[in-house]
Amino acid sequence: MKILHVYRSAPNDDVKKLVTIVSEGREVASFDLNVEAPDYDKLVDMIFEVDQTICWW
Amino acid sequence: MAKSLGIFVTSPQNMRHVMGITKAAKAKGSKVKVFFTWMGTHLTKCSSFTELCEVADDVSICADSYKKCGYDVADVPKGLTEKQMGTQAQHGAIIEEYDCYLTL
Amino acid sequence: MSHKVCFMLVNKDYTLDGLRSTLGLAVENMYSYAVVMNNELPPLDDYNKENIEWIRDMESEVYSTVPANCENEGLVPLTLEELGQKLREMDIIVPYGIMRSDKS
Repeated sequence: MKILHVYRSAPNDDVKKLVTIVSEGREVASFDLNVEAPDYDKLVDMIFEVDQTICWW
Repeated sequence: MAKSLGIFVTSPQNMRHVMGITKAAKAKGSKVKVFFTWMGTHLTKCSSFTELCEVADDVSICADSYKKCGYDVADVPKGLTEKQMGTQAQHGAIIEEYDCYLTL
Repeated sequence: MSHKVCFMLVNKDYTLDGLRSTLGLAVENMYSYAVVMNNELPPLDDYNKENIEWIRDMESEVYSTVPANCENEGLVPLTLEELGQKLREMDIIVPYGIMRSDKS
């Protein structure tokens, strides 16, 4: 199972802990939306490549 | 063939991401549906909302949320039709009918 | 196969409508769970109590990591670790709305 974690803001401790548990033993990628100019083209490619995307707050 | 993408919008802060991702997915030949609920319905007042309605394959909002956010359901946002003033069933349709799912 | 969906509700301004979205998928025959985190529910009115009861009638559940919500409104207690394990079983994970840093 491949999971993509997308972050809309800097993750707090609770989010970090949940990401760790959800990611254990799985193939994981991440993408930071909280930047000046996100590479949406790359993000869409990543979304299409994984089995599940979680877009954290 | 590109996968299809459904976007569930619950935040009033992410219009640039909704637009950016929708445009990028459409450029790859993807089918894109966007559903706005609760505070996300405030984004219908963004200047780029009508453009989103043109770019995406399907845009709808939760009419009940729109009303609770202080708007008149008879005042259909520009770019939408009355039929696109929907219910949470539209969220269900994203999950059932689209390959990929994203919350914004 | 019915999808398994979990809404995470971290903001008091979004929680009650998040419960409505949770119910919206439950009535679409999905296993639709909600977890109230970081915020204490106000005393629930009949409408919101009924929403929670209806979610339960549809073989879904409303949890909370906040003890007061479990004591006052009968939500099922869940630790952050347990939530993490539960999320591993989900097809769709919905971090709903926006995060508040003041935990109110």
